[in-house]
Amino acid sequence: MDNQKFFSGRRERKITEFLFLVPTVLAFFLVIIIPFIIGIYYSFTDWDGVNVAKNVVGLANYKAIFTEPGFLHAFLTTVLFTLFNVIAVNVAAFLMALLVTSNVKGRNLYRAGFFVPNLIGGIVLGSIWQFIFSSILPAVGKALGWAWLSNSLITNANTVVGAMVTVNTWQYAGYIMMIYVASIQGISQQVMEAASVDGATYWTRVFRILMPLMANAFTISLFLTLTNSFKMYDVNLALTNGGPVTMFMKTPVQASELLALNIYNTAFKYSKMALGQAKAVIFFVVLVIVSLVQVSINKSKEVEM
Amino acid sequence: MKKILVLVLALVMALSAVSALADITIVQNKVEIDAALQEYAAEFSKEAGYNVKVITAGGSSDYNTALKAEFASGKEPDIFVIEGPTGYELYKDKIADLTGEEWTEYTAAAYMDGDKVVGFPVAVEGYGMAYNKDILDKAGIDPATLTNVDAYQAAFEKLDSMKEELGLDAVVSMVAGTAPGMTWVTGLHNFNVYLTVGLDRNDTSIIDQVLEGKVDEDRFHAYCEYVALIFKYSDPEMLLNGTQDMQLAAFANGKTAFYHQGNWMDPNIVALNVDFPMAYAPHAFLHEDTDGILVNAPSWYVVNANAGNVEQAADFLNALALTEAGQDYMVNKAAMVPAFTNVTLEPATPLSKSVMEWNAAGKTYSWQQYKLPDGFGMGTLGAIYELLASGAIDEPTFEQMMKDAIATIPSL
Repeated sequence: MDNQKFFSGRRERKITEFLFLVPTVLAFFLVIIIPFIIGIYYSFTDWDGVNVAKNVVGLANYKAIFTEPGFLHAFLTTVLFTLFNVIAVNVAAFLMALLVTSNVKGRNLYRAGFFVPNLIGGIVLGSIWQFIFSSILPAVGKALGWAWLSNSLITNANTVVGAMVTVNTWQYAGYIMMIYVASIQGISQQVMEAASVDGATYWTRVFRILMPLMANAFTISLFLTLTNSFKMYDVNLALTNGGPVTMFMKTPVQASELLALNIYNTAFKYSKMALGQAKAVIFFVVLVIVSLVQVSINKSKEVEM
Repeated sequence: MKKILVLVLALVMALSAVSALADITIVQNKVEIDAALQEYAAEFSKEAGYNVKVITAGGSSDYNTALKAEFASGKEPDIFVIEGPTGYELYKDKIADLTGEEWTEYTAAAYMDGDKVVGFPVAVEGYGMAYNKDILDKAGIDPATLTNVDAYQAAFEKLDSMKEELGLDAVVSMVAGTAPGMTWVTGLHNFNVYLTVGLDRNDTSIIDQVLEGKVDEDRFHAYCEYVALIFKYSDPEMLLNGTQDMQLAAFANGKTAFYHQGNWMDPNIVALNVDFPMAYAPHAFLHEDTDGILVNAPSWYVVNANAGNVEQAADFLNALALTEAGQDYMVNKAAMVPAFTNVTLEPATPLSKSVMEWNAAGKTYSWQQYKLPDGFGMGTLGAIYELLASGAIDEPTFEQMMKDAIATIPSL
């Protein structure tokens, strides 16, 4: 008897657990998994986005992608942007985290101040910075007689990616800083004090003790900045809309058009839904590979106390 | 408990009854008439007994995207705007037949599919080289002579040499930038100059040729030189950075003599209290005289048969063309040039007035740019115009790249 009661109780618990999961799992399937699978199917058709009629065209869309200069350029630009952006955001965030966890005066004010840009929406932020880049900075440049600043940095194909990195760092570094701050505060002060008694300088302590001990914070921060940079869309749209135009593979392409914007433009501007969907599938695969590689490398560097 | 349940049920039923009262939604693309249309729709709703909701997406943002999103959301609009065959073909299966509606008797500009009337012309619109008459007078230039490219060349040179005296920043206020979303000015409207100027309104030979991927060499060469001429006498910063507002401000503040925009900018011009006289001169890019501006019904309201409120939607359109309030809205509030012969009101705003005069004189060329494939004018061609504007390429390269791009059209 006792035995039976035990089993039924466990089964009941399992059913309860299952029922608790149902809403979430259902929602996840309805809005993520099923559209994703339908999307993969669409990428093999010639769907135009409005009419139900579509023909299966096999791999034609995928073939078209890899010969399209616009997409290849967007891909390379995204890689370049991601590289600079991950470095810039993390270096800025780490230095800010060191500052606000030190004994500097007004550190709580800094902490809040650094975080505030993250609360501004990407489209608003992009528009504000567009105004700064196209109106304010050139005026400053002209007043000071600096040739490099006299023309808008976002209409120059060579500087536009740098401008986007600047804006994104300004927005995102405060958020990543919070992760580093939490991690630094989690490290025992005794270790740092012991090292300092042993005569280690500040930077030795940072590089030899602090950074290895907060390796898990680097894993999460790098993952967030990497995926965030790769998927960058709102600031790209509002700040440059992909412009200016530059030449690539003897074809005019949009100099600052990142992958997400390129996919959007393919689908909506040029009404090639299926081609855009195929690009999105490629985008997904690349993003998964890149983030898995990054996480596994970072994980191997983490240490346990 | 039961009481509460009954109450909730009653509430739900009441709510669904409210939403069953036909509300009709209009998705339209003209930002400049948004306020006027919202106001008119609100007035109309009071009398009609159902709500007319206006959703506007346009200007620098992309109307077609917003429209697709509306359809994808499942709440299909009752009335929306098509800008030509591309839009019509896309939504053909959903568009209601409006043959026999009262307004159709008063217009020649309806969108037709064979004998079927399907589209209500939103307005007649026109563009050319808008000029500031005061500045041209001071420089001793008679706008009536601007009917060929040599006259333009001479006028631009003269104005350029008198820039300081006239207080000009540049001769022409022109925009071409992708970032501010202005490539429709170059890739669609300016490109249409090549497609129709000098041709009969029904003559589609040049656009047909373009759609086959070919150009008329001499005509195209003359056109490319005309583009280079306009860019040469425009402010390079404005070309790449200028938004619609900046482009207008330069002209409205008397900083340029010419302005490359259509009469849809009239409400903004009125808002800026511009007091100098202005009118349109032709886009005359050939050495031969071409005396006319580019006028067409640019877009049509169509009724979505799928959304189930065809009758209400048709009533709304009839009221627009046939009632005093509707006509007052079109002409006085929205500052549009109506496409209906029964409307006797005259526009009070300067550019619309000029369009009406050219139209009345029968000196107009049609619009064919909307026959280009989706994204081709604004995206593909717009990019090449921007390269020329930035000085990255010269005029012969521009011409060649344009030809190469046009050659890809059959494969799109």
